[in-house]
Amino acid sequence: MEVSSLPISASHRGKLISAGYSSLSSLSSVSPSKLAQDLKISENEVLEILKVVSARKWVDKIENRSHAIMNGAQTAWDILHEEESSICITTSCSDLDEILGGGIRCKEVTEIGGVPGIGKTQLGIQLAVNVQIPADYGGLGGKAIYIDTEGSFMVERASQIAEACAEDMLEYNSLLRKDSQACRVDKPPKAFMDNIFYFRICTYTEQIAVVNYLEKFINEHKDIKIVIIDSITFHFRQEFEDMALRTRLLSGMALKLMKLAKKFNLAVVLLNQVTTKYNEGSFQLTLALGDSWAHASTNRIILYWNGNERYAYIDKSPSMRSASAPYAVTSRGIRNSASNCKRVKLM
Amino acid sequence: MSPLEVLERDYPLIDSSFRMFCASHGIFTVQDFLVHDLYELEAFAERDYAQDKLKQGIAQMVSKIESQRRPWLNGLELLEDSQINKGTLSTGCERIDVLLQGGLREGHVTELVGPSSSGKTQICLKAASNVSRKYSGTVMYFDTGNSFSAKRIAQFLSQPSDPADIEVNKTVQRVMSSIVCHSIFDIFTLLDMLHQLMNNLKSQIGCQVRMLIIDSLSSLIAPILGGGGAHGHSLMLTAGFLLKELAHEHNLSVVVTNHMVAGEAGISKPALGESWKSIPHVRLLLSRYNAINGSCISILKHPYLAAGKTTEFMVR
Repeated sequence: MEVSSLPISASHRGKLISAGYSSLSSLSSVSPSKLAQDLKISENEVLEILKVVSARKWVDKIENRSHAIMNGAQTAWDILHEEESSICITTSCSDLDEILGGGIRCKEVTEIGGVPGIGKTQLGIQLAVNVQIPADYGGLGGKAIYIDTEGSFMVERASQIAEACAEDMLEYNSLLRKDSQACRVDKPPKAFMDNIFYFRICTYTEQIAVVNYLEKFINEHKDIKIVIIDSITFHFRQEFEDMALRTRLLSGMALKLMKLAKKFNLAVVLLNQVTTKYNEGSFQLTLALGDSWAHASTNRIILYWNGNERYAYIDKSPSMRSASAPYAVTSRGIRNSASNCKRVKLM
Repeated sequence: MSPLEVLERDYPLIDSSFRMFCASHGIFTVQDFLVHDLYELEAFAERDYAQDKLKQGIAQMVSKIESQRRPWLNGLELLEDSQINKGTLSTGCERIDVLLQGGLREGHVTELVGPSSSGKTQICLKAASNVSRKYSGTVMYFDTGNSFSAKRIAQFLSQPSDPADIEVNKTVQRVMSSIVCHSIFDIFTLLDMLHQLMNNLKSQIGCQVRMLIIDSLSSLIAPILGGGGAHGHSLMLTAGFLLKELAHEHNLSVVVTNHMVAGEAGISKPALGESWKSIPHVRLLLSRYNAINGSCISILKHPYLAAGKTTEFMVR
């Protein structure tokens, strides 16, 4: 294995190659002091390099495995069982849940975009509240992280939605549990607010820093089950002269969010804005940040107006068909649309 | 630029007196040895007092260099290898198989490029389910965007018959146990995994791997490509060459997916740039035909089929 494919700094790499250490095997038996002498760097830096090398040395060793499964891989059969037993986060609108296959899934990055005023932030706040629904009521019982880049998170609205959710849970409790089980003092709205961790971001560097910091934060608060970024576009749309840098930063951020979702088994929801695209002779509304960002999410949902109604359309999903469903934004949060036509339209 | 001292550990003949002899002819590194006139060096060695040792040293250097190079093959051997070892694997979509005259070929690196939601992941999942059902051996799936959907694969496998049937369930279990999925989120981990796969295949541990799918390779390379340094570029090409070596040496079919970026005059072009274009053997362009899950696939590049051939398909 080559030294050029090790994740070390460019100057160290250049020095290693010009001193003749171009493969991992040549580094395996050299002493740190000799290496420091050859490369003319400090012993601490040499120890860093050797740590990286030893982490990769197992690659060359031939392990005695009976099956060609490598570290961390899973068979599709195991993944199927995991998927079947995983709980989705409901959006409180049953039509929307139906086209999503149950709700927002954990271990996936879902991108939701729409025109201003369609209800993206409302949906974000609803999800931050719904993730806290306890397991008894079919929810995840987890906490939420809300990263706000536009300043559109309204605490009073969140408290309103939390109250409505608590009332709904009480109603469910009284309807279905007619036995003598004591009506537990369910979550007061304040408990909901305690479990939403809020970050306010003002520049794109802060946004990247927060995404990098999230891993450490989630390690300390293990029951976080959803990360909502509202919106991911705001700081990347203005003042960016170097488009190539923007693409690199965005794809790096996307990979980190994917890794977070998979490693900690949580859902990541990204809220995006829209822009127009000239496509085959007409202008179409499409999500912002370009074509390369389109591949950064597992699922994509576009929210749009159809007459006087709000609709959600699944644009990209590995397992669900393209479909659209109506929803409404009420004083209690996101709910089913009150129109007569309740059929889910398959496109 | 490896200095000759490095070789002394494994080859005791390359000792200090040999190195002094070489140094007297201006040879300090292996590269110097390669460009020097070896006949002249041997002639000088003859006249030296320790001629046997020196000549043995030169012979050992030469044999080590020879052992590093790949063997020569002639066209007939390559043709036989291609006919015996490298068959085609059906993708499960009949129209794509017809377009590619049989399906995905072992020994080829096939690239699926297309805009978002044009069907790339669906083809990968369908091909994975079909190959693991029809042919023995495992399918390795490297997933970079958490889009591996086991539910969808189970759907594909239980399509022709009733899903409640017990026999079908057993088949589904057997087939799905031979699809191995791994989540990869950076290029260095990908290179590690590819090296480990190569080592496993060389030493023939475990069962045979038929197909390797990387969905998507471009999201791993996009964060490091460009930006002044050439390192991202070199990592992309290293990964590409490793994939080609895996495909050819171990008779795998490798499938990678790529996305599109905006090009000149508003027309989209495949990502990863000009130098990536020569790495895959087969490049297929997908585009969304209409919203009813129909897509259009056309050949951008193929070793022996005409480019520009198009067909429409639908993954149900």
